[in-house]
Amino acid sequence: MGIYTKEEIFAAISTVIDPEVGFNLVEMGLIYDAECDDEGNVKVVMTLSTKACPLHQMILQWVKEAVEKLPDTKEVDVEVVWEPAWNISMADDNVKKALGA
Amino acid sequence: MVSISQDFAPPFKLIAPFFIIGGIFYILSSMAVFGFGVEELNFLNPTIISFVHLFLLGFIMMTIFGAMAQLVPVVLEVGHFAVELFYAIWPLLLIGTLLMVFGFLYSAQLLPYGGVVVLISMMIFVMEIFMTIFKVKKLNLVMGSVLISNTFLFFGIIFGLLMALGFAGDISLDITALLPAHVYLVIGGYISITIMGLSIVLVPMFTLAHSFSMRPLEIAITLMSVGVVLVVFGSMLGVELLSYLGYLLSFVSMIFYFYIIYIIYKTRPRKENDVYAISLMVSYISLVVALMLGGVYFVLGAEHYLMAAGWLMFFGFFGFLITGHIYKIIPFLVWFERFSPLVGKQKVPMLADMLPPKSSQAQLIFSTVGVVVVAFAIVMQSDVMLSAGASFLVVGALAFFRSMLFMINYK
Repeated sequence: MGIYTKEEIFAAISTVIDPEVGFNLVEMGLIYDAECDDEGNVKVVMTLSTKACPLHQMILQWVKEAVEKLPDTKEVDVEVVWEPAWNISMADDNVKKALGA
Repeated sequence: MVSISQDFAPPFKLIAPFFIIGGIFYILSSMAVFGFGVEELNFLNPTIISFVHLFLLGFIMMTIFGAMAQLVPVVLEVGHFAVELFYAIWPLLLIGTLLMVFGFLYSAQLLPYGGVVVLISMMIFVMEIFMTIFKVKKLNLVMGSVLISNTFLFFGIIFGLLMALGFAGDISLDITALLPAHVYLVIGGYISITIMGLSIVLVPMFTLAHSFSMRPLEIAITLMSVGVVLVVFGSMLGVELLSYLGYLLSFVSMIFYFYIIYIIYKTRPRKENDVYAISLMVSYISLVVALMLGGVYFVLGAEHYLMAAGWLMFFGFFGFLITGHIYKIIPFLVWFERFSPLVGKQKVPMLADMLPPKSSQAQLIFSTVGVVVVAFAIVMQSDVMLSAGASFLVVGALAFFRSMLFMINYK
């Protein structure tokens, strides 16, 4: 058990909003996993809605900065994966409803 | 971690002139429609040739080149070879376009000069794109489409220059034989294949569509490429059969392209009908009607159906596809430059907040009505309707320019 739970890390990341769709990354279902060790090192596994996202680097930076706001974090590693590929079924119901999916 | 270029958003000051000048040419092209007379609408009329260059070079190519400065790294997933070259491209394209437009209208002696300046501008563009593509280790379908389309552009502008020299009387050649090759290389080979490749990245990106087969796009690009080559050889060698086969293949190519767009549209999770989505609908409906009118022309042989098809392809399909994407690209670039450094520090706008709702809707309505009325005017051979359509187009183009300035100046 690390310093922060997955839920606490997700809550921190939920402050990051995709400016194109207007939803946060967690409710979009883009954050796949997060864990923190006893030293405060955090690893986030996430994806993006498209490989050709022009905000790719910036979004990773925002996620990193959002997690670093948790007071006892040390290193934050954000890994982007493309498998499983994101699709709308991974998003929260409120997102699907708002988009009309 | 997957490493992707950080040069996804070149400085806005580099791209802005392309869009602003493109927007001005959109207004001028709309105003130029007042100068048409239905009696004289044919592809060899200097007024029409001048208008086509005003619209295609001044608005379509100018805007596409600016958009490519941002989209090439997004699509190719590598940074530009030398993005600064874009600072030289727009002034040259601007000067060359004006010389060609005035050359066709008033003095053919200007054409070689305009042709050379346009050639230099486009060669810089094509070479920059080629050098950027060489940085890519493995080409996918979309990257391949960029390579193919720019190769066609390369040959298309050489044909264009030869024709300009012929027009001015500097060299002796059969311009009518080269015309189909030039038109097909630039419009089918460059503009259409560029649109096919880029839209398959951008439309799913904005609609959040996934899990569709790329096979129809593969077929569409292949058919269009073969079609363009056949038309080029057909017109050069004087073999009509080759040309007709080329026309047929490119016609079928557009049907396959429309099919994949239709699949994306049907399966898109993001169903909101914003100005972008509606612009694309108008664009693709124009494409379908243009294809139908093209079919009618081949059956009936009446040239005004072909003119109406060409009109809908240009102002309808190309025009709305470009104006629609401008409503996505400019807010992104302005947001990236002005607001992205403030994320996490203060409240920043969403991209959708940067659109002016009234002028963008006005543009959509007036431009759509204008395109439809002019298409009817060409089919029904009515000068009055043509002027009425032009009035709508001018108001639409002014509203578009106003929207563009609003987005650029958003603070």
